[in-house]
Amino acid sequence: MSAGGAFGGNRGARPVPPEKGVFPLDHLHLCDLEKKEYIGCLKTSGHKSEICRRFSKKYLECRMAKNLMAKQDMQELGFWKEDNSEVSKEENMNGRIKG
Amino acid sequence: MVGCTYAAVPLYRRFCQATGYGGTVQRRETVEEKILRHAQDGTVTNREIVVRFNADVSDGMPWKFIPTQREVRVKPGESALAFYTAENLSSAPITGMSTYNVTPMKAAVYFNKIQCFCFEEQRLLPGEQIDMPVFFYIDPEFETDPRMDGINDIILSYTFFKIAEDKS
Repeated sequence: MSAGGAFGGNRGARPVPPEKGVFPLDHLHLCDLEKKEYIGCLKTSGHKSEICRRFSKKYLECRMAKNLMAKQDMQELGFWKEDNSEVSKEENMNGRIKG
Repeated sequence: MVGCTYAAVPLYRRFCQATGYGGTVQRRETVEEKILRHAQDGTVTNREIVVRFNADVSDGMPWKFIPTQREVRVKPGESALAFYTAENLSSAPITGMSTYNVTPMKAAVYFNKIQCFCFEEQRLLPGEQIDMPVFFYIDPEFETDPRMDGINDIILSYTFFKIAEDKS
């Protein structure tokens, strides 16, 4: 652990800043329920992100609704409307390209 | 010393975004643009990567800081959410700032953070517990890079440093 590498002292791969900036902290715990549902899903699904996508989508939508995240099109965050169910991403994209 | 290096982080970020220095290309495609491009191309990925999480605090930083989930299994090209939890165990408000790294280092270039809590000061009141989300995306090109053969685990490590303590 590079104790001296506090702020940019990381030799090699430098940290790249996040694209849309920072998640403000949810000090009022407004999206706690959505977070708990997501974490609960991970624990019961072998920690597979794909299975729990609808919960992560709900969490981000909660953040946007409570001004804890800049509003963005969910598609550009990698969510398709079929992410409310368990349709595969490949089926989503094939449908989108044809349509 | 801490004051100088602390000031460097936001400057570094603005500098990087403006000039493309530090391994970024000139007009860097944003992660969102990359996501949409791969969707249009119909990119399909198959390889499951296990992303594990480490959390540390520096000496003298009186926070409990842990990953909320021990791992997330994700395919390149899937955006994914993960959480850390921080709690100020002291009796004074404490401001911290975090840095992170990704290992193995050669995989770090493919690990994109779409949103996170890093590079900004975070202030917790005494006893306050907070969730800290990270929303990330592993570039699909990870899967076709021969240097990434045999890499099936990526570790995201965060460290929180104490910036300030409010004296009451």
